[in-house]
Amino acid sequence: MPTDAAFFTPIHVQVLAALLFGLGLTAALARRDLFIVLMGIELMLNAVNLSFIGFARSHAGSASTLGQLAPLFTIAIAAAEACVALAMVVLLVRQQDTVDTDARSALKD
Amino acid sequence: MFPHLDATLADLYFALLALAALICGVGMVLARHPLNAAVLLIGVMLSLAGIYALLDAPFLAVLQVLVYAGAVMMLMVFVIMVLNRARSDVPRCDWLSVGASAASLLLTALLASTLAQRELAAHPAAVRGEPEPISALLFAPAQGWWLLFVAIGVTLLTAVVGAVLLAKRSLDTEPKAAEDDHAH
Repeated sequence: MPTDAAFFTPIHVQVLAALLFGLGLTAALARRDLFIVLMGIELMLNAVNLSFIGFARSHAGSASTLGQLAPLFTIAIAAAEACVALAMVVLLVRQQDTVDTDARSALKD
Repeated sequence: MFPHLDATLADLYFALLALAALICGVGMVLARHPLNAAVLLIGVMLSLAGIYALLDAPFLAVLQVLVYAGAVMMLMVFVIMVLNRARSDVPRCDWLSVGASAASLLLTALLASTLAQRELAAHPAAVRGEPEPISALLFAPAQGWWLLFVAIGVTLLTAVVGAVLLAKRSLDTEPKAAEDDHAH
């Protein structure tokens, strides 16, 4: 069987998803630019979608289809999230004229 | 893992796309200007679309390009350019971000190394993710997923209305009279 010679197995997809999730988390936590924080969140959502699709390959029948249905909802929610978040960024920049996350610390002072 | 492809060729495709996604992801975290980060994030999303296609999910691969790389990132780039300041005045990192990135990368390394030791086999009877089986499951009356589909529609509508209200130039002016004028 030629497919048994393959080096990559479905677990490598999960490893890639975990690494991308970590990169997104790093961008969301460590960067101070609001846009890059948002992009980190988008990257995390993408990594979760990849994980769903990777696991869908390891199931049979409707469980497999369900693994491909869940990312559909994630994509729609991510689009709604991006829409509202960008409106908030526009609002915040209009108020304080900076995209620095440290400027939003009014509750701390 | 990829039943429709020659094993070595599939391995090569997966390795190239995964490498491209990781390089673009690291570049996004380190990018100086948000516009560079946006372009690199589009690179990650396109590489992921290729991986979806390799993983028997052609419908989601198309959707990834259309919705993510197309619509969401277009919106993001558009807002970045509207609010563009020629130089980014935000420092790229400080001591807090060094700690935060060290913690999250450590967590990721732990998770990835744990995952890499496990075995996971592809199921021979996995369904190829074409629109037909996905929509059959989504709109099956007995399953109830269509209810979630309707809820997603309402959520998107709410998000659009919320975004318009948030981004309005000022809420304290009285736009009611003007709207009434337009209505009649």
